[in-house]
Amino acid sequence: MSHGAISAILGGIWNVGFVLLLAPFCQGILRKVTARVQSRQGPPIWQPYFDLLKLLGKEDIESGESPSMQRFAACLSLSAVLTVAWMVPMGFGAPMNGAGDAILLIYLLTLCGVCTLLAGLASGSTYSLVGISREMMSIIVLEPLFAIAIVVGAMHAQSFRLETVLNGSAYATSGFPWSGLIMLGVILLSFQAFVQRVPFDISEAETELMEGPLMEYSGPKLALFKYAQMARLVIYSALFVALFVPWGSGLAFPWNGLVFAAKLFTLVLLVTLVAATHARYRIDQLIRYVAGLLAIALVALILASYGH
Amino acid sequence: MVARDRLEQLREKFGSAIQRADLPDGSRLFVFVDPAAVKRVCQYIFRDLDARYVISIGADDRPFSGKFVVAHDFAFDHDHLLCSVLTYLPADCPKVDSISDVVPAASWAEREMRDLVGIEPVGHRYLKRLVLPDGWPEGVHPLRKDVSWDHVPKDFNDEHEFTFDEPPEGCTVVPFGPFHPTLDEPAHFRLYVEGEMVRGCEYRGFMAHRGIEKMAESVLGYNDIPMLAERICGICGCVHSVAYVQAVESAAALQPPPRAEWIRTIMLEMERLHSHLLWVGLACHIVGFDTLFMQSFRIREPIMWITEKISGNRKTYALCVVGGVRWDITPPLKVELRAVLDKLEVEWRAVVAAVSKDKNIQKRTVGVGLADPELVKNTGLVGPVARSAGVDIDCRRDHPYAAYDRVDFNVITADGCDVWSRLLVRMSEVFESISIIRQCLERLDDGPLHLPITEELPVGRLGLSSVEAPRGESHHFVITGENNRPRRWRVRAPTYQNLQAIPMMIKDQQIADMTISLGSIDPCFSCTDRLETIDLRSGAVRVWTQRELLELVRTKRGKP
Repeated sequence: MSHGAISAILGGIWNVGFVLLLAPFCQGILRKVTARVQSRQGPPIWQPYFDLLKLLGKEDIESGESPSMQRFAACLSLSAVLTVAWMVPMGFGAPMNGAGDAILLIYLLTLCGVCTLLAGLASGSTYSLVGISREMMSIIVLEPLFAIAIVVGAMHAQSFRLETVLNGSAYATSGFPWSGLIMLGVILLSFQAFVQRVPFDISEAETELMEGPLMEYSGPKLALFKYAQMARLVIYSALFVALFVPWGSGLAFPWNGLVFAAKLFTLVLLVTLVAATHARYRIDQLIRYVAGLLAIALVALILASYGH
Repeated sequence: MVARDRLEQLREKFGSAIQRADLPDGSRLFVFVDPAAVKRVCQYIFRDLDARYVISIGADDRPFSGKFVVAHDFAFDHDHLLCSVLTYLPADCPKVDSISDVVPAASWAEREMRDLVGIEPVGHRYLKRLVLPDGWPEGVHPLRKDVSWDHVPKDFNDEHEFTFDEPPEGCTVVPFGPFHPTLDEPAHFRLYVEGEMVRGCEYRGFMAHRGIEKMAESVLGYNDIPMLAERICGICGCVHSVAYVQAVESAAALQPPPRAEWIRTIMLEMERLHSHLLWVGLACHIVGFDTLFMQSFRIREPIMWITEKISGNRKTYALCVVGGVRWDITPPLKVELRAVLDKLEVEWRAVVAAVSKDKNIQKRTVGVGLADPELVKNTGLVGPVARSAGVDIDCRRDHPYAAYDRVDFNVITADGCDVWSRLLVRMSEVFESISIIRQCLERLDDGPLHLPITEELPVGRLGLSSVEAPRGESHHFVITGENNRPRRWRVRAPTYQNLQAIPMMIKDQQIADMTISLGSIDPCFSCTDRLETIDLRSGAVRVWTQRELLELVRTKRGKP
């Protein structure tokens, strides 16, 4: 086995472990800060770990129309997110450099959304169906945004190779092009939707749809979905950092890791504060909002193709 | 006197069809009319005299007069007059013309009358059962005097399922309830949905009818009923207990001492404060804004503590008896209550400032759940739902009771007809309530807490009382009777009217708006049903019926 392959595998395992370990912690911070904003005590910061362990230890109840499909959807949702983890730098270089390019990354990100659709479809309850119809509509408008951000980066970097794209490529090497700055704004404004938090947690909307696609899930399967959702927050934050805030990642160990963690927690904090101070949008309001952003993103794409 | 003028107008128009009339004082009018003229009289009162429909009551009066009684209650809000149109029906043929095609708001009340008393509203267009379950046999009417309060017919089938209407073509049915996280109480809406748009709905409620009126009419005494009335609702219980005692007091011409009236006013306003804070919090929760929900509940908590200090209970105050109140507000409590109000006012200002500036909440509530003045009139909507449509009604001012004629306050209205306006109305009413309580504390006279009542209350008298609950008017109708209890007691909570407008309010709106539209009338249902257990070893599914569950609770045997 070549030296490169070994380091890719070790790096991948490091990344997956990092995401699995850190995701519930980020969720814990999110819940604690939310509680503080709401004048509550809040759960202990380790609570999400206990929640997951409890759910994993519960009986695996099969309620829904096609149990095997439901099990598959639950496993796929977490594994899709963890596969993305192999490709995104978490404080150090992305481990799976040679194996995939930015296009694969875009596909895998879409797959995460598709899992929710599968989960809802397989359980077949009315509320799940309403939930996935919302999820489907939001995927259609949302996914192009991140794809455009990556493509803009790729255009500046003149390459689809992961390690070049995921290294602050939105600004290329030549200062701050307009397209990169525009995409930074667009992704910041739609970030809550990618990590499925208020005001854009529309497909689950507890008070309207009773968790929508996840309604029929409990025990280990629910744990996998919840884990995937927590991991999503870490993955998208890491992607955001890699594309738009690369500074400090070139530092020596362990400083690069620490700088990355600081950036990650800042993003989590931002997500928490936005979620705690907003009401939920309706699906038509989300689509109108994101469609506006999409139009701006297209302008950025055109600018990028002219090198601005 | 306006009551006399109204009576003259009716006499002039209908002549001998008005059999007799009773004007106990200037604020109540009882008109007895010929059964054949009921519909015309009601139409005239509702359309030409522009009165507000309140409720219809059916009563079994056979043991006393040998007849059935039907009463339609109306309110002349500008004239400060409550009016009841009564008619006697022969015992062998309890039929009366339905008024629901001229007064649409009477639809439910007539269906209920048919279910519970067996009075047939002739000409009603939608005679589906409202209160009785579908498995209940025909011809057994629980509120008739010859049916005992605990009677269960032998052929009652409690496993019988509801029969539902057919949904319109091209629509799928989304069941909303009987259990839904934002309702917390059983009520079942079958939404007819096209994509994300709601095209209509069917409502089945009354799943936990507790037979409270029957209990009062056959088992309890005058002074037990306030405690039962209080348990009608977990939010505005004090309202029901005050409305009941006032109806009895008005029937028996009793005047409670002034200190009792001040204390009733204070406690009613305390209840409004806690209810408004609770509802604003819930409304924010429904649209996903949990921070304001939590803050609202935090601010509300001291109100619960001070009412616990006054009455011994956070919510169920057990305040009223006929002729007075049971709890006093002592000088130390006064000081404490003032401090609570001062803190509340400051904190609530901050919440109001946050909500009114929030574009996000406006996005979800402006233009949602529309109820325009026409719907308000036709469906008899009350409270913040009516006031948010610019309909300026408030029983505290229009039909003053307790000490409301001695305090100054504004009736808050808005004209958006939507959920946002309801939010604004209820948020501003908090400040009016604070001001009312302060005025009461200022002027609380010394004196007795209740009237000494030594003699039996007079029999066969009629009493009406309307009390402005936080969600709208609660109306109680009482006929006094023998054995120290009323012959008939009819409660109409505000939700009874407001809920009837929901199908119109959610039509052609998105599913996402359903919960906040329903939430905006602050609906109030009540509880019980069945549950399912699964034997792990055999995998056998067992459905527990309501009866088995009750058995389980009572005997504590046969644990699942």
